[in-house]
Amino acid sequence: MKTMIMTTWQEMLRRKMLLITLVLTALFLAVFWFIADTVALDSSGSGDLLGQFARRSAILSLGFFFGGFVVAFLAIFSSFSVISGEAEQGVLQSVLTRPIPRWKWYVGRWIGYVSLIGGYALVLFVSMVLITKFHAGMTRDYGDIWVSLLLFVGAVPALVSMSMLGSSLFSGIGNGVFMTMLYGAGWLGGMVEKVRGFLPVEPDVEATLSRTGALLSLLMPADGLNRRMQYILTQGAGETLPFLTGGSPPSQAFVVYAAIFTIFAFGVGLWLFKRKDF
Amino acid sequence: MTPDIPAIQTQALSKIYENGRGCRNITLRIGQGEAFGFLGPNGAGKSTFVKTLVGLVRASGGEGSLLGSPIGSLEARRHIGYLPELYRYPEWLSGEEVMKMHAGLLGLRGEEARKRIRAGLDEVGIGRRGSDRVKQYSKGMQQRLGLACALLGDPSILFLDEPSSAMDPVGRREVRELLLELKKRGKTLFLNSHLMEDVEAVCDRMALMLNGDMIRSGTVGEMLKVKVRWRFKVGGFSPVLLDWLREASGLPVSAEQTEHAEEMSWEAPTWLEAELEHEEQAGLLNMLIVEQGMTLYESSMHQEKLEDWFLEAVSGRDQRGEQR
Repeated sequence: MKTMIMTTWQEMLRRKMLLITLVLTALFLAVFWFIADTVALDSSGSGDLLGQFARRSAILSLGFFFGGFVVAFLAIFSSFSVISGEAEQGVLQSVLTRPIPRWKWYVGRWIGYVSLIGGYALVLFVSMVLITKFHAGMTRDYGDIWVSLLLFVGAVPALVSMSMLGSSLFSGIGNGVFMTMLYGAGWLGGMVEKVRGFLPVEPDVEATLSRTGALLSLLMPADGLNRRMQYILTQGAGETLPFLTGGSPPSQAFVVYAAIFTIFAFGVGLWLFKRKDF
Repeated sequence: MTPDIPAIQTQALSKIYENGRGCRNITLRIGQGEAFGFLGPNGAGKSTFVKTLVGLVRASGGEGSLLGSPIGSLEARRHIGYLPELYRYPEWLSGEEVMKMHAGLLGLRGEEARKRIRAGLDEVGIGRRGSDRVKQYSKGMQQRLGLACALLGDPSILFLDEPSSAMDPVGRREVRELLLELKKRGKTLFLNSHLMEDVEAVCDRMALMLNGDMIRSGTVGEMLKVKVRWRFKVGGFSPVLLDWLREASGLPVSAEQTEHAEEMSWEAPTWLEAELEHEEQAGLLNMLIVEQGMTLYESSMHQEKLEDWFLEAVSGRDQRGEQR
């Protein structure tokens, strides 16, 4: 299993996926630093503490709006062809005839992706929290930060598990499209909920929008976890930018659902992989 | 390892895909140290059968074992080295790193792994390019790397699916020599190949697959029936002499058919043919031809090649690769 974990890391480093992401992330963080510095300034000197907190929260939400996308696409595009792509190329055939159980290959690859992308998500999270702390004066208690971190990083195993499951079923390109659409559906669910939160609509329309948004979020809970994380980190104060944090945040039950979703996707993917003909 | 345990044994082993293709009811017994050739046109089911043996696909029926362990089991996979037909190695790795990854999967570590990697790359002739990335390798070099990987664990049984198809003539010759060397070392070889000369030079026994069925099997000699055909180029031949020649020699001599019988004239040279058992019979025919005043321009022997046998065996059957 160690061999497969190392191979996965080597793959991501050698194919420059991580390098490109890190360079672009550095650029983003520089811009984010500037925005945090500028927007958080209280130029009027009114001393409106609540207003300041709301502005700072909105900056943080803006950062994680971007961060959620980057982590999701890194997780999807690094793992979407791990099984079907390698089988199509003939890489897997020589590996799977070695005396290792198939589950070790699968788990090794999964750990490889989750650890590296999870590590990236951790760095991104810490960077954004520190930037907003030192340049926008946004402080949160450590408990909230820890829970938020877990929720932010928690999207990675959900995405990788689903991506590897899809890769057992579909061709490389097919799974790339499938995963992008699935993530898009979850993201759309969040947007529907945000729209519901700030549009003046009839109660029955509001209920329909809420149900639709919730169902779409269940298809892929990664974006829902991100919204929950932003809510905890900002205590809902980021609602000054409704497209970022409007509507009701996903509940605690949703987090439990996301955990079950991840375990289920991982288990079904592993089961399919063990039975697959190559 | 008990020598009387067969290296490869299958009993009615089948793998039928959803589209009805695959291989059916293959029963084989290949002894340890034997070299076995598996022939058949594209789509005949050869690769499916090999994939079933090495555990890449699950059998639909029947059973099989490698050195007594059920096919697909970890124990069976400990005995094998496999070179797939269509494969590539991760191009972001170097040849040595590919080997290192396979060494890790085989449980080889440290100095032992390094020694085997170095020896393996040298053995297949790419030792100097070991540190280059795979994307810089030609197809032939990738095939050599594949062979090195297959040999890395010092396996008792080697499954080689078209081991030299992408190589130049020099490379093919080197691979053939390597296979003969491995055979000398007592390895069991299972060779899937379209290159008949490889099978003919290396294998003790062979089988022919067609449309998923194994239609013939036996030793290479049995398959070729050691037929020897003699051809004589003669001048001054007349068709009336043919009957006399048959009568005088008691041998099945025939004249090569031409499109126009009138072309078989006194002046034009004609080819005579006969399947003979030994050289003395050819000597007798030479003598009789000359005695009758014909001019003998050439007398030559043609032994049937595996390729001729293969083409004859599959000719007149269903369209290549199509299900009956």
